[in-house]
Amino acid sequence: MSTPGLEGRKVFVVEDESLVAMLLETMLEDMGCTVFGTAARVEDALEVIAGDARPDVALLDVNVAGQTVYPVAEALDRKGVPLVFSTGYGQGGLAEGWEGRPTVQKPYTEAMIRDALMRVLDIKNA
Amino acid sequence: MKYLELSDVAARDMARAFDASPNPYTMLTTDFCYAGVNQAYLDVVGRQRDDLIGRNLFDLFDGGGQGDQARENARQLRASFERVLKTGQPDHIALIHYPIEVVDPEGQTRIEDRYWSATHTPIRGIDGDVAYILQHTTDITELQNLRKRVAGDRDQATVADLLSSNVLARAEHLQTDNLRLQSERNRLLDIFMQAPGFIAVLTGPDFVFQMHNEAYAELTGHRSLNGMPVAEALPEVVAQGFLDLLKQVRQTGEAFEGHAMPVQLGTGEHGALRTHYLDFVYQPLRDGQGDVAGVFVQGHDVTDVVEAGNRQKLMIDELNHRVKNTLATVQSIAMQTARTHAEPETFAEGFQARLMSLSHTHNLLTRTHWEGAELADILTHETEAHGSMRILPNGPVVSLDPAQALSLGMIFHELATNAAKHGALQSGDGRVLVDWSIQDGTVSLVWREIDGPSVVASEHRGFGSRLIERNVRHDLAGQSRFDYAPDGLIFSLTFPLERTAT
Repeated sequence: MSTPGLEGRKVFVVEDESLVAMLLETMLEDMGCTVFGTAARVEDALEVIAGDARPDVALLDVNVAGQTVYPVAEALDRKGVPLVFSTGYGQGGLAEGWEGRPTVQKPYTEAMIRDALMRVLDIKNA
Repeated sequence: MKYLELSDVAARDMARAFDASPNPYTMLTTDFCYAGVNQAYLDVVGRQRDDLIGRNLFDLFDGGGQGDQARENARQLRASFERVLKTGQPDHIALIHYPIEVVDPEGQTRIEDRYWSATHTPIRGIDGDVAYILQHTTDITELQNLRKRVAGDRDQATVADLLSSNVLARAEHLQTDNLRLQSERNRLLDIFMQAPGFIAVLTGPDFVFQMHNEAYAELTGHRSLNGMPVAEALPEVVAQGFLDLLKQVRQTGEAFEGHAMPVQLGTGEHGALRTHYLDFVYQPLRDGQGDVAGVFVQGHDVTDVVEAGNRQKLMIDELNHRVKNTLATVQSIAMQTARTHAEPETFAEGFQARLMSLSHTHNLLTRTHWEGAELADILTHETEAHGSMRILPNGPVVSLDPAQALSLGMIFHELATNAAKHGALQSGDGRVLVDWSIQDGTVSLVWREIDGPSVVASEHRGFGSRLIERNVRHDLAGQSRFDYAPDGLIFSLTFPLERTAT
């Protein structure tokens, strides 16, 4: 089931619902990705990516434990890490300055996650 | 003129001149008592000076006795006095029908029909305030009677009669019109002042406040506005572009309409800026030549409506977020349950049981309007299907927030399901002791299965135990441990009651 191009990619996950995080991890492992880390809160996420730590790509839930994930997104942007947002909000779910960034809407399928990751990692479908 | 404080010679001469005037004059205090009258006035009303001085005009002359007409007569006269007091300007009554009580030379008292024309002039005291009202009355009863006679015997009317009759008719009409206009103007002014919407009139190139109503004063924080240009009276609106909008209306002559437009006004505490949302119109006011002379400002403060709309949008967003998250949770439960249940029947059973567990905790939280739930209640709710006597809770009251409650609900569900399949809750005498305590804000809980079949650690870590570990670490920021003791599973859990920011 692993997807050529995504194998071995280190994916950072920020998601506060543990069941959803588990689902995402299962999906990512099925694609052959490595889970770089999973954070349930903005503070924890910032800690994971502090210093030289650099995932290949990140999947960020917009609303984590009552906070917005944008500080994490900014830190990852500075490192040049491509981002995919996930949100339960509608089309206007992203705040000003982040509109138009790649987004998957909850609930999502494995195919939706795979397509979004391949798009931001600029991997062509085999 | 003993009530006037005039002491020098000139003043005395003035008083004599006043007394000698052939025109009837009276001087009234501001509460309409006679302060002075001249001889001509005494002759007209047929009274003695001492009958009048110091007494209230309306007590002596009540407009002709009882009835609506009398009250209306007195009201007209009083209204004229009050206009003088209010405006400080002379006021005229062209024609007033005001019967008075007269005493004839024989000493008989009777009501006599009289028609008057009156001018009321304010007399100011040293301090500049109106101290007296000077009334100059002309008794035009004869003219009025003449007019009536002419009307009654048209054939004998002379040109002079007709002329005087027309003049009187005109005067009467004019006075009626004036009264009607005055009352209409007052009514409009009342409506203007009490209108629920805000209204202001600005004139000139600097947009000087001519008038504004109560709602406008309320909106702008009861500042002094009249006679001041907008830029001076409401300096905070200039940089917000409202002065430019007014200029645009003045230049183009076209009205401007704003809908739910935000404006920051210094109406907060200590003049702090507060955002108001306004529906309003700037309507150009044109002068006789058709040029824009001013701007009429009218509108409503719709801040409450806009804020309610924003709150509603926030709530809908939050609801959407929760529903989508719940759907994602259900999706996760379905997919992970499917991985460990090959048979559709057992999948359905396991899936439904987990959904019901989630739903139970939701029910508990709904009862407290999502403020939280108690640990003991969650335990009871999630495990009662296995028999209330077999699970023995023991611990203090621990209040959990909604996220912790949902998490512990899932944990207890997985533990109980596991115990029913492999542990102490299988058929038999097995029981579960659940003990918890709280110390320094940390909850320590032990789930101890006893009197069940002997257990061995499972090779395969199922979804249940992964879910438990995950929930503890991820949602509770705590630690957990499974010990497979010979007489039953011991699961230990510690987690902080309040997650502090790291």
